[in-house]
Amino acid sequence: MTSVIKTVNLVKIYQDGALPVPAVRGVDLQVEPGEFVAVMGPSGSGKSTLVHLLGGLDTRTSGEIWLDGKRVDTLSESAWAVLRRRRIGFVFQFFNLVANMTVGDNVELPALLAGASPKVARERRESLLAALNLTDRADAAPAQLSGGEQQRVALARALANQPALLLADEPTGNLDSRNTRDVLRLLGTVHKEGQTIVMVTHDARVASLADRVVSLFDGEIVDDGRIARRRTGTAGEVIDLR
Amino acid sequence: MSTALAGSRWIKADLRARKGQAVLTVLAVAGIVAALITAATLLEEGTNPWRSLFARTDGAHVWLYTDDRPDVSLNGIDGVTRVAGPYRSAPVTVAQDGKKEPAALRAMPATPPGVAHPVVAEGRWLDPSQPDGVVVERSFAESLRLRVGAPFTIIALSGGRHTLYVRGIADSAEQGFYPQWTPGLAYVLPLMLDRIEPMLGRSEWVTGLRLADPDATQVVSQRVVVMLEDKLQRVYTWREVRAAMELDNRLLGTLLALFGAVGLVAAALALANAAGGRVLTQLRDLATLKSLGFTRGQVALLLLVEHGALGLLGVMAGAVAGWGVMVLMLGSTSVAPAPMLAIVGGTALAVLAAVGVPAWRGGRTPPIPDVPSGPPRGRLSRLARLALLVRLPPALVLGTRDAFTRRTPAFLTAFGLAVPMMMITIGLGVWATLDDFADHPEQVGQHASLYVRAGKVEPAEARRIAESDPGVAEVYPGTEVNALSPGEARSVRVRAIGASATPYPFPVVEGRMYGRPGEAVAGQGLLDLLGVEIGDRVRLTVGGTPLIVRIVGRNVEPDQDGEVLSVGLDSLSAKDAVPPEFYALALKPGADTAEVRGRLLAESGEGLEVQEVVNPADRLAVIRVIIVALIGVLALIGLANLLTASALGLRDHAFDLAVLKAMGLTPRQVMATLVTATGLLVVLGVGAGAAAGMSVVTSLIDLQGDTSGVGAGIGRAPSALTLTIAVLTAVGTALAVALIPARRAARAQVPVTSR
Repeated sequence: MTSVIKTVNLVKIYQDGALPVPAVRGVDLQVEPGEFVAVMGPSGSGKSTLVHLLGGLDTRTSGEIWLDGKRVDTLSESAWAVLRRRRIGFVFQFFNLVANMTVGDNVELPALLAGASPKVARERRESLLAALNLTDRADAAPAQLSGGEQQRVALARALANQPALLLADEPTGNLDSRNTRDVLRLLGTVHKEGQTIVMVTHDARVASLADRVVSLFDGEIVDDGRIARRRTGTAGEVIDLR
Repeated sequence: MSTALAGSRWIKADLRARKGQAVLTVLAVAGIVAALITAATLLEEGTNPWRSLFARTDGAHVWLYTDDRPDVSLNGIDGVTRVAGPYRSAPVTVAQDGKKEPAALRAMPATPPGVAHPVVAEGRWLDPSQPDGVVVERSFAESLRLRVGAPFTIIALSGGRHTLYVRGIADSAEQGFYPQWTPGLAYVLPLMLDRIEPMLGRSEWVTGLRLADPDATQVVSQRVVVMLEDKLQRVYTWREVRAAMELDNRLLGTLLALFGAVGLVAAALALANAAGGRVLTQLRDLATLKSLGFTRGQVALLLLVEHGALGLLGVMAGAVAGWGVMVLMLGSTSVAPAPMLAIVGGTALAVLAAVGVPAWRGGRTPPIPDVPSGPPRGRLSRLARLALLVRLPPALVLGTRDAFTRRTPAFLTAFGLAVPMMMITIGLGVWATLDDFADHPEQVGQHASLYVRAGKVEPAEARRIAESDPGVAEVYPGTEVNALSPGEARSVRVRAIGASATPYPFPVVEGRMYGRPGEAVAGQGLLDLLGVEIGDRVRLTVGGTPLIVRIVGRNVEPDQDGEVLSVGLDSLSAKDAVPPEFYALALKPGADTAEVRGRLLAESGEGLEVQEVVNPADRLAVIRVIIVALIGVLALIGLANLLTASALGLRDHAFDLAVLKAMGLTPRQVMATLVTATGLLVVLGVGAGAAAGMSVVTSLIDLQGDTSGVGAGIGRAPSALTLTIAVLTAVGTALAVALIPARRAARAQVPVTSR
């Protein structure tokens, strides 16, 4: 089975004046379909840069990126954009809903962009908003929503085209604990439905939701481990784990 | 297609969010385009009625007036295809509604000639079965409010009264419109003219020549001058007729074109500024769009379409408005399609170019939405440092710093306000010039405000009556004659008035006033026409008598496109100067023109003809309407710039504001900071604009005066008071506009953490 995403010796060096600042230093990462990978690390470790590179928001300095078995690091900015429409969904820390558009329009936008008819886009938005419990907020402006609601809308927007890969950059970084729980529950749900997710976080509790945690330090992978999943949630096993 | 759908959603949402600014953009562009189309139409010859009149009447290119029937074969001159006339013409006075108007009564046959035939617009042409019928030239009829069937009472030179009846009203391309061109024109049958004016010596003969090539006019008329010599009274050509018909249109057109062209630059700047500012405030949204899968080109196209569409909508609205105004004013055929298309196309291109650069920059936004896109910071501008040095309040210092954090928008804002302000200053200057015309008519050559013609009384008696009136300060006897210049194929006006030693106070702006017989002053138009300069000697012939004068100065000359030579009455030969044709009456300060006129009429038992002088400012009153409209459009442009600046300032500093508040600035101080940031640019822009306007306004008006023949020396800058009020109004309005969003921002709860 081909990996959803694979990087080979991925390097990103920012140029700060004459001084090169390496952000990602030779990352080899492979994510299989259906995997939920959490990328952890202290701030400045290059984790955000890594997901930006994976989504084509930023260009790599050297190395390779393969998406669904196709090499994509050589793509132009426009080709990346076209690729993102169908294959990659993004969730950001600050939600980044288009401020002037209603919640409904925000969710319909990617579907329309991917070529869906207005009717199909509307149906998809309705089902997504219903699933996220936001049906009654469809006509509201993003600013009228709470942070948690906004992030749920952002998630709906990211999932509108059933992308092969969902990239989440600190999706709970700006939320209180209750909203964090809501958003994480949603991520868990879509993961169970087979969605491949790469999520950046610096919060260990959030990372614990993933199948696998990749730790970055100074732009290099220092640890890559699977979390043993509890298959059943009985009280006895909880005691066992202790 | 798919991106079009998605993009249109975004555009719609964005336009909804900034309705006011969008409407302002559309209105500003529309105003400019309307002004440009109006200007082009007025300047385009198509609006000049001469062209169609000339074509419809198969007009003659050269008209010559002789004191006897010309006995040479004018038909034989090279280039002359057909000859109209000669027709006999007698000077008469038309008495209508208590007014007396000068007219030329022209004998024409009952069957209209093939060349230069008046075209009947209402009623019928002359008919031998109705010998008392008269056909009146249309502008003359309109001025006298004559309709078909109305009585037409004329007073012949002998004093005899005759009543004719208007049978028809006709268009003619033979002379300019009444009252700009006098005398008015009326046609009667030859028999009737013989009855009204039996003395052949009191009439003249009019002949029209139609040429194969209009460009040969000069050559042909020179030939005519040589052939007819002493018999020739005066000659004029189609060029003078055309110029007479278009005079005011040209002035208005030039004014509108100037304002329109500079306004277009200002509008393009405002549009670029608005689009650029909007893009800056939306960088995060644009980045989000790109992260969703919009390509760089698509984002640029999106912005181009959104901002360009507003401009194009304005262009369309302006085109419709301009076209509508012109159709209402000048009729449906007045707007020529070619210049209109050129203006629409040109302004559309300007609009797209103006929004193209910001759109392109917007397209280059990196697709990572979390990268903060704040202004460059850290440095205090020199101005801000200065403000700190002189211990200004903190709000002012911070505002001063904020004003210049983004250099390009700061410059665009200041410049975008300076250009409209400059044009407004120029508009106010034009206004002041008109006021000056009205308040000081003596400065435009209208020292005398009443002209008295002897009429039924003896000239000496007329002078006595005028001099004895308590309201009259000075009486200048005068005569106007037509003079021929050898080498110039047309007549010029010679105005002989007052004595050379005690001259009529012409406003001489170059050289000096004439001081003895044989010296003259001339208007710019005459100097240009004859190609002479001050100090040159000119030789003219007046009714066969040579008139040789040295031009010693240039006066401001509002009449006859400035093509007037002014001399003392004693410079003319006695046969032309005695008795004087009229007396020009300068009134004492405070004397009422109408009152004096009434007294003179009463004193002479209605024997005098008393005419009030028409001030050029009255004729140009419509300019004031145009100035007000243009100031409105320019203010819209300024406002559009201001909204952009204020929105951008707010966006750049929204987060700083939270910090400032946390540091202990009161909401009032925060508001003051924001208002200072915008206000400083406003003051700079408005000040620079007003200064630039003041520095060019006089020379611009003088330039216009120079080209129109009136001559330089008429331009006036707006008074200090007017300008101060204008500047204060502009700055005040700007601050008020900036205050509203600033208040809102100062009171809003901005979380410090939201970035």
